Formats: sequence, C-alpha cells, structure tokens
Amino acid sequence: MASVEWIKTFFFAKTAPLITPSHFREFPHVTDKECTHCFQCMMICPAPGAIEVIRTEKPGEWKPVIHLGHCIRCGLCVEICPELVLDSGRVHTKNAQDGTYMQFQFHITVNPVICMGCGICSVACPVNKEIDPQLAAKGTSTSDEVIMRVYKGINTVFHEEKCTGCKTCEEQCPNRSVMVARVLEPLQITEEP
Amino acid sequence: MTLLQSFKNAVRQRSIHVCYVDTGSCNGCDIEVLACLSPRYDLEQYGIYVHNNPREADVLLVIGGVTPQWEDKLKMVWDKMPEPKVAVAIGNCPISGCVYNRPDSLTRPPAKSYIPIAAEVPGCPPRPTEIIQAILSVAPLIFKDWEIRR
Repeated sequence: MASVEWIKTFFFAKTAPLITPSHFREFPHVTDKECTHCFQCMMICPAPGAIEVIRTEKPGEWKPVIHLGHCIRCGLCVEICPELVLDSGRVHTKNAQDGTYMQFQFHITVNPVICMGCGICSVACPVNKEIDPQLAAKGTSTSDEVIMRVYKGINTVFHEEKCTGCKTCEEQCPNRSVMVARVLEPLQITEEP
Repeated sequence: MTLLQSFKNAVRQRSIHVCYVDTGSCNGCDIEVLACLSPRYDLEQYGIYVHNNPREADVLLVIGGVTPQWEDKLKMVWDKMPEPKVAVAIGNCPISGCVYNRPDSLTRPPAKSYIPIAAEVPGCPPRPTEIIQAILSVAPLIFKDWEIRR
C-alpha cells in the first residue's frame, strides 16, 4: 500500500494554491460611502492617469474610478480620502490602530534667475482669480491675500498654503521658472500626557 | 476531435516554455518573475519552464516600457519564436508606460503597438501569483487545437 501512496504523491503533489492573502494591498475598490468629489485622491496619485473622479449617471453622484495598467497599488488615495470612500487591504485598520494619517501641501518655487516677472502665472492661477477679481480680469493686483503676484517687479509667493496643486502656473510659465512640488507628510496622533 | 489531438492538448497544457524580455524596466517586474521560480511559488509544478531563448519558447513575457532601442528589436525577438506563440505584458510599463510615460522621457509604450499582446497583467509590479495565473489561463487558450485552427 505504501507504494500506491508514494505514486499518488509523486504525480499529484501540489504546493499551496495561488491565493492572495486578504491583508495584501490590492487595487483600491470603491465602498458604498458617499464621495464628496474633493479630488484629493487625484491630487495625491503618483501615477499619471491612474485614478479619476467622474460623475455617475445618478444626478449629483460622483465616484472614483481606478484604471488598471496605470495604478501602482501604493494605497495613497485610500489613505488620503477623508470620507473613506476607497478601501484596499488593511490600510484603514492599520491607520485606526496606530493613529496615523497623511497630509499634503504644495510648495511653490520661483527661480529668480529665469523669472522675468511677466505675471502670467498669477493671472492664470484659478485660486488667485477667486481671491482677487482684479487678477481674473487680467489686471494688476495689490492684494496680499493672493497666492502669488508680481511685487516690485519680482514674482513673490505670499500664501503658499492656499495652493491646490493644479499646476496651471507651471504650465503657463513661458520660461518654466515656476515649479509646484507636493510635500507629503505622514503624521501620527500624539496622545496628550 | 481525434484522440491524438486531445492527447496533444493535454500535453501542451503541462509544458509551457517561457522566454522573458526586458525592454527597459526598473527590474521590479524581473524580480517578481524570478520569484515565480522560487520554492514558494514553484513554477515547474505547473509545467512552465523558463528558457530565455525565443527559438524554443511558447510564451514571451514582455517587461518594461519599450525604450527607443527596443522599438525594432522587440519585433525581431517575436519573429524568432516558433508557432504557436503568445505574448504576455507583465506590469504597468508595457501596458501604459505608467510613471515613466512623461513628456521627454525615453519610453515608447505600449508594447502592443509593436507585437500582438494576448494578455496584460497590471500592477507595479504584479504579484508572482498573478503572473502565473495569467500564463496558465492564456496559454491553453492559444495552444488548444492549434493544428485544427491553423
């Protein structure tokens, strides 16, 4: 009988089946929580064209769509979403356990050597246009509340924290002197003693 | 279907010869293909053998966003393979270029504009399980009754 057993194991031996453990970070999937279309997932995504927030057929409803072949499964969109619309692996469980969260802001650098102070960037900026209607009308601004404007012939950044990272200024600059960089910081909730 | 044909189909499913070609990847996907050979995943239990010679390969694994140097050479590798053959794109790079597909970058994705790609495995990098599953699911479809369909 031992030889029958041996023949069976010799011909039909298999290692563990191909199963991905549930705690692995898979491609993000959409949960039934409501998307507020704040576009933070699109802003944080490092891969071009991997995530899109689009309007569904139902009026007033938005949903993020992950494009396979572009998504690199980094899980940043899952972590950044304030409404926890996306889910993947145990990202949310670990974040709740350790009290960790992500935060990002944008850092604007103007190269003073090649910037000629034309002001196209501050006129093109959609946030500037909302703050100062003068800029929306391609005029000259004297407001100190804008993100950036030409001040005494030099392009000066006033309020970096208002930047939403659309990079319109970077695209519009004829000399490529404006650079918008995303600064991402992982933070942890510290317990008060 | 004749008995001989069904025997051929059964044997072909247990004997898939693989050649992989790196058309300018970051080596992430190469490491995952290498991991398939490890005892943890054990490719050879499924009858998949890695040869790295296109002349005796059935399946071509294309890895990496195609660089300008590979534009004509990828077709040359594909032409060297005997029929029946199938190409599988591994990772995001041959599918879309992903993070390398930026203005002024030296990549010319997708790979399917140079050779016919039968299956694409998304991921950066894809897991070894996903690579093995892709090969196992696409190869029998291509090789089954090939003599009849030819």
